[in-house]
Amino acid sequence: MTASPEFQVIIFKSVHHALRAEKILKEIGIPHKLIPVPRHISSDCGVCLRFPAGEREHVEQALAGKFDIDEIRPLENQG
Amino acid sequence: METIIDCRGLTCPQPVILTKNALNDQDKVTVIVDNDPAMQNVRRLATKMGCQLQMEKKEDGTYHIRISRSAAAGKSAETAPAAADAPLIIAVSSDRMGRGSDELGDVLIRSYIHTILELDPLPDTMIFYNTGVKLAVRDSAVLDDLKELEAAGVSIIVCGTCLNYFGLTDSIAAGVVSNMYEIASTMASAGRLVTP
Repeated sequence: MTASPEFQVIIFKSVHHALRAEKILKEIGIPHKLIPVPRHISSDCGVCLRFPAGEREHVEQALAGKFDIDEIRPLENQG
Repeated sequence: METIIDCRGLTCPQPVILTKNALNDQDKVTVIVDNDPAMQNVRRLATKMGCQLQMEKKEDGTYHIRISRSAAAGKSAETAPAAADAPLIIAVSSDRMGRGSDELGDVLIRSYIHTILELDPLPDTMIFYNTGVKLAVRDSAVLDDLKELEAAGVSIIVCGTCLNYFGLTDSIAAGVVSNMYEIASTMASAGRLVTP
């Protein structure tokens, strides 16, 4: 119910990177939310950043080369 | 015959206590309350006791709750609540989860509150006190989650003393402000009390 197809998530290798990335998104005003990594995605870090899918380009530009990003992927609805 | 209990001007737990006493010897009771927490708590009591209820919101902001107890819904529900019906209460005493690192505690509590939306069944009530109240005010990172929980029927009560202490009384943005009477009685009524 809370997952929605119009969101994407950034998966990080560490919580520290997730927090630093959150700070950057906040500074440049990209809407985002720190959420637990959905069950169907595996990650050591456990938290990820969710953002509206339409902002993907901005997010990639803002974070390019600065972080150890595992992947950016759609947040799928799970059954 | 129908008994009317006028609880206007009363705050929890009085309306609940008066309703419960009345239902001990009456089958039909109409309770008049003038605040949301009282309405929710009276409604919850009636449901827990297996009663039928009809509610009407009047123009003056009061709720008229008509409660009728069928023969089948005896006092047994009150004396022997089924484990599954026992309320799940989550008491949030801090705006961090766990001790050690504040930065990590902030990440964890945000994660936790968001995840509660996936619990089945949802908690009946969430109580916020001490720095926990900071989660229920404007600009809280979990405000959208709390609003979603409220919309899903979770009753959220926020400690008024705590809001006052932190100077946040005017900033509350989710849940209803309450007092130690309601906090204590809600905790005491819990089937399970969870503190993150």
